[in-house]
Amino acid sequence: MTHSNQIEKALFEAARNVVDPDARRALLDHVCNGDDTLRARLERLLAAQEPAEDFFEVRSSAAFASERVKTGFTTLPLNRTATDLVGDPLQKSDSTVWEGPNATIGRYRLLQRLGEGGCGVVYLAEQKEPVRRRVALKIIRLGMDTENVIARFEMERQALALMDHPNIAHVLDAGATETGRPYFVMELVRGVKITDYCDKNHLDTRQRLELFIQVCHAIQHAHQKGVIHRDIKPSNILVTLHDNAPVPKVIDFGIAKATEGRLTYNTVFTAFGQFVGTPAYMSPEQASASGMDVDTRSDIYSLGVLLYELLTGRTPFENKQLVQSGLEEMQRTLRDKEPPRPSTMVTTLQTDVLTMTALQRHTEPPKLVSALKGDLDWIVMKALEKDRQRRYETANGLAMDVERCLNNEPILARPPSQFYRLQKLVRRNTITFAAGAAVGVALILGFGTSTWLFFKERESRQAAELGRANEVILRRQAEAREKFTQAAVLVGEGRYPDADRIVEKITFPESSLEGEAVFRPLGEWAALQGHWEKAAGLLSSLVQVDQVEMGTIATLDYTRCAVALVENEDKEGYELFRRAAVKHFADRTDPLVAERTVKNCLMLPADGQMLTSLAPLADIAARSIEKPDSASGNEAWMLPWRCVSLALMDYRRKNYDSAIRWSRQCLSYGNDNPARTATIRAILAMALYSHGQADDARSELAQSQQSIEDKLKDSPDLGNGDKGFWFDWVLARILLREASALMGAPSPVLPAASNSRPE
Amino acid sequence: MSDITLLLEAVGRGEGKASEELLPLVYDELRHLAATRMAQEAPGQTLQPTALVHEAWLRLVSEGDRTWNNRVHFFRAAAQAMRRILVDRARHKSSLKCGGNQKRVVIDDLELPVVSPDEKILMIDNALERLEEEDEESARVITLKFFGGLTNNQIAGTLGVTERTVERRWAYAKAALFEIIQHEL
Repeated sequence: MTHSNQIEKALFEAARNVVDPDARRALLDHVCNGDDTLRARLERLLAAQEPAEDFFEVRSSAAFASERVKTGFTTLPLNRTATDLVGDPLQKSDSTVWEGPNATIGRYRLLQRLGEGGCGVVYLAEQKEPVRRRVALKIIRLGMDTENVIARFEMERQALALMDHPNIAHVLDAGATETGRPYFVMELVRGVKITDYCDKNHLDTRQRLELFIQVCHAIQHAHQKGVIHRDIKPSNILVTLHDNAPVPKVIDFGIAKATEGRLTYNTVFTAFGQFVGTPAYMSPEQASASGMDVDTRSDIYSLGVLLYELLTGRTPFENKQLVQSGLEEMQRTLRDKEPPRPSTMVTTLQTDVLTMTALQRHTEPPKLVSALKGDLDWIVMKALEKDRQRRYETANGLAMDVERCLNNEPILARPPSQFYRLQKLVRRNTITFAAGAAVGVALILGFGTSTWLFFKERESRQAAELGRANEVILRRQAEAREKFTQAAVLVGEGRYPDADRIVEKITFPESSLEGEAVFRPLGEWAALQGHWEKAAGLLSSLVQVDQVEMGTIATLDYTRCAVALVENEDKEGYELFRRAAVKHFADRTDPLVAERTVKNCLMLPADGQMLTSLAPLADIAARSIEKPDSASGNEAWMLPWRCVSLALMDYRRKNYDSAIRWSRQCLSYGNDNPARTATIRAILAMALYSHGQADDARSELAQSQQSIEDKLKDSPDLGNGDKGFWFDWVLARILLREASALMGAPSPVLPAASNSRPE
Repeated sequence: MSDITLLLEAVGRGEGKASEELLPLVYDELRHLAATRMAQEAPGQTLQPTALVHEAWLRLVSEGDRTWNNRVHFFRAAAQAMRRILVDRARHKSSLKCGGNQKRVVIDDLELPVVSPDEKILMIDNALERLEEEDEESARVITLKFFGGLTNNQIAGTLGVTERTVERRWAYAKAALFEIIQHEL
């Protein structure tokens, strides 16, 4: 597979996520950079997506679902409270739970069964001491007390106990019965379903939004504690009155979490063939049988549905319809069908229904429609995006947009476009580095060598991704994601210093294209400014992101990082870096990757061990030149650079003859790329000098120096593959410095930083 | 333990020859199943590869041996085998059509052609061969997903990548393959 193939894939991925046609065109303009063949190819591929989708029609495997039944795989039934169960068929099979009237557990007297789900049942109970009050007691279901389930129950309790928020029902107590059945006690929330409350009290749109914001805050709190609710719907949000003010409380937290049940025939339809649950509130990924894991963004979707219902009185898809249509149809609807916008939905209602709906919102039909049109429409639809990456990243993000809407400020959710992902690429080209630009950034301490702990974290991250159920990771992800969203927005607006300030506070890098979208531009911005410490920190984070994504396009990111580290005079950091890099790329057979790794690891002199470990990679690179008919990517433009790496390798190995030969071969390809030429001349100079040909060496050195000095006269820019990227020039400079020092030449006027450092 | 299970475990241990031996066994079983299925079903019915593969899985590997690893290796082999079976079957059916009367389908500017499932399989197989030459990565995802019926999650396990990566590769692979098909016709 060729290098250009990988680039094509990465570009395809970036472009296909941009929905807005103008934005996409701009993106393609930028990345193709005049390469018409590439552009045409990408356009064709992008155009092929839709028909390809239809053509392939991969159905969700019904066979898979039935297989689960056959093998007796017991998936726990989804949590649904008793009010949702149609006919409550589960109760019959579970007759031993109810231990009779006046049953007591610890100091609680069971009064009435409230509901059930997951592995537990919830009772209304009365606490006698120290205070007499009514509580909700959840006890593990009889027959479910295997070690596994108890552990999960315990996890749930602990997760709940972590939470401390006015809008979340509190955990008061926990214990186990004499027979060892664990239970925990929660604050009893006496209240009314949020939708009922709003309707009965004719709350207007503004008041409803205010309640909704509180709910979002509660969910946000939970996410930060690593708990996904998974079952957000009106019956799980009760409104109580506190000092005459309505207070929404989220209940039934974590109950769904403990079940980890997936939607299959086995779990969704009871033995009686009735549907258990409220699909209208399920996110597409929850409903899918393909095993896509559910994360915090699933809750965001459900919040979207809630908002939709609060505003219009209806859910985007009617629950009854979803249930009746059967599992596959339901999944397809949730996954593919676009729901009507709130303002549109309202206009399709029958007159009397519409009037009633408006009345419940203390307004009249036309006013209701106009209130919903515009911003609120956008906000709701963004929360309801099928693609979870396009939804709000956090519940707070959603709440903030709603607040902006209430304050008549511009909202973020304007036409659905991955604006930040695009703009980072587009804006990059239009940045000017005029001195005196508002770079009022205090150079806060960079990341330094502690960055390298990230390489250790990589392992735990991979384990988490595969393991899935790590709450700590979830929590930090939620936090990091929020910061990244903010930073990315700022990057998109060109406000680099502000973005940078936020990124610095993130301790857990987000491994995703979003992370890439922030680290690379910020890192390069810092590099072009000569802020090497900052650049080193950011680019090393980028490398860490690349490692998890495992693409070969990352090799240039390693180069970016390497030069930044060297320029930052961070010998220790560079040493750690190259050791990790050589290990990471040790068994690659692609000559391009091999050659770049060699180069990235030899920017500074290296010890025997490093040279030994790089030797196989150098061989691969060398062989690829000697055998030009080998299949993997010997495009003409790669060969001269390959010679550079090999020359450098041989120089470091003290094979001066060989180094001289590779250098001359590189030069024989011509001077189309001045950065490369300057680099090879510096290497050639060193090799000649060490070989005893001092005069020739000085000549090469002078030429290299001249070239670099000329380049420095221009303002710094990112450069390109043809004439040299910024980091190609920095490498040239690094080697020139080494050469000058070696030859005792007057130290060239080349500070470690570029010449445009703003003060 | 059946032969197949032993082989699956051997593949799991990284023993190279095992997968060579595994494929023909899986292929035989699938072909047998397909033949039985075809005999039972109404004429004109198309084979559901996913269902077949699953059934073969259930038949060949006993409950206690249905580990995640075994499943992954089995399905990988099954996907390849399934591809051959479907292609052979499609070829056979199309050769039964009268010589010069084959519908020549034109794909016009992204409009979907009307294609029978068998024609589709042949087109995909053809295009897949081409794709394999330049882009093994994409070809593999298509084989596993389309012919093997694996979920993204399972493919991720097979290839040792994240599910996200699988989604990305699948998106690209589909477009790339369709592109090839369009050019061919």
